[in-house]
Amino acid sequence: MVRFLLKRVMLAISVLFAVSVVSFLLFFALPADPVTGMCPKNCNAERLERVRTELGLNEPKVQQYADYMKGIFVGRDLGSAQGGECAAPCLGYSYVNSEAVTDTFARVLPVTLSIVLPAAVLWLAIGVGLGMISALRRGSLLDRISIGLTLTFASLQLYFVGAVLLLIFVYTLKILPTPRYTSLFEDPVEWARGLVLAWVTLALLFSAIYARLSRAQMLETLSEDYVRTARAKGMPKRQVYGKHALRAAITPIVTIAGLDVGTALGGTVITETTFGIQGLGRTAVEAVRQGDLPTIMATVLIAALFVVVANMVVDLLYAFIDPRVRLG
Amino acid sequence: MRARRVTALGGAIALMVSLGACSENTGDDTGGVDTTKPRTGAIATDPKDSLGPAPEVPGAAKGGTFYILRENKISHMDPQRIYSFAGLMGSQLYARFLTTFKDDGKGNVTLVGDLAETPGTNVNNDCKVWEFKVKQGVKFEDGRPITSKEIAYGIARSFDPDLTGGPTYLQEWLVDSPQYDTKWDFKANKTSLPPGLTTPDEKTLRFEFNKPRCDLPFAVSLPATAPLPADKDTGVNLDNQPFSSGPYKFTKHTPGVEIVLERNEHWDPATDAVRHQYPDRFVWSLGADQAAQTNRVLAGTGNDAAAVATGGVPSELIAKVTGDPKLKERMIVAATPNAYRLTINTARVTDLSVRQAINHAIDRTSITKNLGGPYGAVPMTTLLPPTTLGYKQFDAYPAGDSGNPEKAKELLAGKTQNLVLLTSDVTSSQERATQIKNALEKAGLTVTIKTIPEDGYLDTVKKKDNPYDLWVDSWAADWPSGASILPVLFDGRGIKAEGNSNTSQLNNEALNAEFDRILALDPAKQADEWSKIDERLMKETAPAVPLYVEVVSLAHGEKAGGVFIGSIFGWPSFVDAYVKQ
Repeated sequence: MVRFLLKRVMLAISVLFAVSVVSFLLFFALPADPVTGMCPKNCNAERLERVRTELGLNEPKVQQYADYMKGIFVGRDLGSAQGGECAAPCLGYSYVNSEAVTDTFARVLPVTLSIVLPAAVLWLAIGVGLGMISALRRGSLLDRISIGLTLTFASLQLYFVGAVLLLIFVYTLKILPTPRYTSLFEDPVEWARGLVLAWVTLALLFSAIYARLSRAQMLETLSEDYVRTARAKGMPKRQVYGKHALRAAITPIVTIAGLDVGTALGGTVITETTFGIQGLGRTAVEAVRQGDLPTIMATVLIAALFVVVANMVVDLLYAFIDPRVRLG
Repeated sequence: MRARRVTALGGAIALMVSLGACSENTGDDTGGVDTTKPRTGAIATDPKDSLGPAPEVPGAAKGGTFYILRENKISHMDPQRIYSFAGLMGSQLYARFLTTFKDDGKGNVTLVGDLAETPGTNVNNDCKVWEFKVKQGVKFEDGRPITSKEIAYGIARSFDPDLTGGPTYLQEWLVDSPQYDTKWDFKANKTSLPPGLTTPDEKTLRFEFNKPRCDLPFAVSLPATAPLPADKDTGVNLDNQPFSSGPYKFTKHTPGVEIVLERNEHWDPATDAVRHQYPDRFVWSLGADQAAQTNRVLAGTGNDAAAVATGGVPSELIAKVTGDPKLKERMIVAATPNAYRLTINTARVTDLSVRQAINHAIDRTSITKNLGGPYGAVPMTTLLPPTTLGYKQFDAYPAGDSGNPEKAKELLAGKTQNLVLLTSDVTSSQERATQIKNALEKAGLTVTIKTIPEDGYLDTVKKKDNPYDLWVDSWAADWPSGASILPVLFDGRGIKAEGNSNTSQLNNEALNAEFDRILALDPAKQADEWSKIDERLMKETAPAVPLYVEVVSLAHGEKAGGVFIGSIFGWPSFVDAYVKQ
């Protein structure tokens, strides 16, 4: 198990290293001149050159990459134009936001985590639960209602469902406040009231997919010989479904869930835009729109980190669910 | 002063009202915008005009929290770096400047002293030496008195190349060079002042220029003259936590999310002719887009009842708001000073009669209708927008809003010209180009539309040798003086290879000399002269076709009172804002 874990960690580090190199090169490859946005008023060639020197952009690329990495692990001095000393993990300075990129992320990450994690719990609980029940009650009214609802929600768009929920609960019934983020540690009730619409919207859409996937997986598993054998041998239904069938059916769902959660943590831009909440997704989109390269780079890195970590968690869960994985 | 394109406003939705535009909806068929309304503009000569307290706002009450909804982060909050509409108007709450505009929101503005006792003294009447006396009783948020030293330090730090973003008039005028930060190095001279700027005593600030700078009283109304004690200068970090000299101070700032301003107890209303301190606090709530902002204030749930949606009412909600009398009462509709014109490249279209024919042929109605009618744009026939001090309405080519192709044909007298009309690839610009082409072709002109990407549009039209005859430009001045518009756009002596503001490339010696004559006048005497030269420009040279000024439509919650659209920048002003109790 330790060997398995080490292999996965090494692989994750390799992926992150590759992403960091690529995202760093993006800084130079994109059509936007990284210096123009950072140049003082009335830019001219002389000023542009001065800024380039101040920012170390005339140094060899390898040196610049090393400095960037050094900033992430031990911090570095960015100079007066970029706010001075930048503590680790230093991701550079955003001239658009007038602050260290790390400060931006320290602010927006809890927002995105607060949207995605509770929503993921909801969509997994509703989706997998509904899918399993539908599979076990195949052909029943419940199954048909479930299929109908999931088809409906799976075909809707997040910005539409979100807007409808806003219209009903905020603008018409006025029973919920305008969506906003309040720290969980500051006021848990406001935290939940401010984000509940985002959770429900995400849960409705995502759970539809999980319900269909779970139902299909469960039905397939239930038709396996070993399930039939277990039932023929007189094993109680709960044990057959809960211990044997569910365990086998859940494996692909864990894979998809890992990817979905990882990707969503990298930015739920549509959700954040629909509800006017500033999280990682909107920050990333605005950074792209405004050519805010240090923020773009950091966003890419952090999104990659989430996907890699989510995949590692999935791998570990695999190992837990299916012992054959550990041996492989 | 800058050419401003809507797409280049940092996400800001075009807002604003002309001097004459009303700040409350009148409910008429034109959407409440009345550009014919009498308007006044002046520079205060009586020091009493610069004294506080500002007249009480009828119905206003103290208390409550006033919410300002906006989608994007404000680009800069550090006064020395501010140059956006939101920043300029928002900074009035926490910063004071040497001068400022007393604006009644009904079309009457007066330039008064803010930190200064008057809008400045033109010492030798040659606009080269100016003095400002600092008012007694003005204080920072920590209770320290504001003196000329802190105002001078604020101006000096605007030379710091690290502090990007702000306007550069003062810096360039003081050192008489666009390369101001190399002419005077702030970092190496933090304990001294830039050349030409002195503080003979704690009450006096003195500017000495090599050239006449008659617009100085206007230029020092920009936030770059906000004071700052040297020990409070945190460099680029001041952007997120400015040090207050106004009626409110920063108590919380979460960039991109929320700004909370609370009362500054050291602000003395007796020293301030413009601002009030009605709400206990102002909260900028950032993130909601245009439609969400409007829906929120119209629903008025909780805090949103005391909120104003600065993003403007989106076109899809206009009918809903205007169709309900109760909602319409909470709509502010106003024309902005952002003026659009069809530029005629006089270096290529050299025949005056062709340029005059184009003026007769243009169909402003179809263009403004496509922009949302009275809620999107108002036709104009002058080069100066109605916001300008001394503005006078005229129409050099009276063809009606829909144009007069027959009169144009008459002027052309059988002449034909193939014109190349440049447009950007933005859909609305392309539609506008088609409307212009249709109107001109009715008069017998041949027009070919050339489309280029939006991001290269401004650079292209500012090139001297560009191969185009016509294109649409816009201009919004930094202060409402013709000096910041007409010489910038039509003085031909500065035409260079690239980066021209004079995109018409007009170079008329008589008019250039007239610009010089007016610029040498005391600013109070210039106003009427700019309107006269506006008419001369149009009649004698027709270097452009004035098209329209933008109109903004905003909504606010039922408890939000006192908001009006500032006449200078066309953005909501919060100096009179209050929460209805």
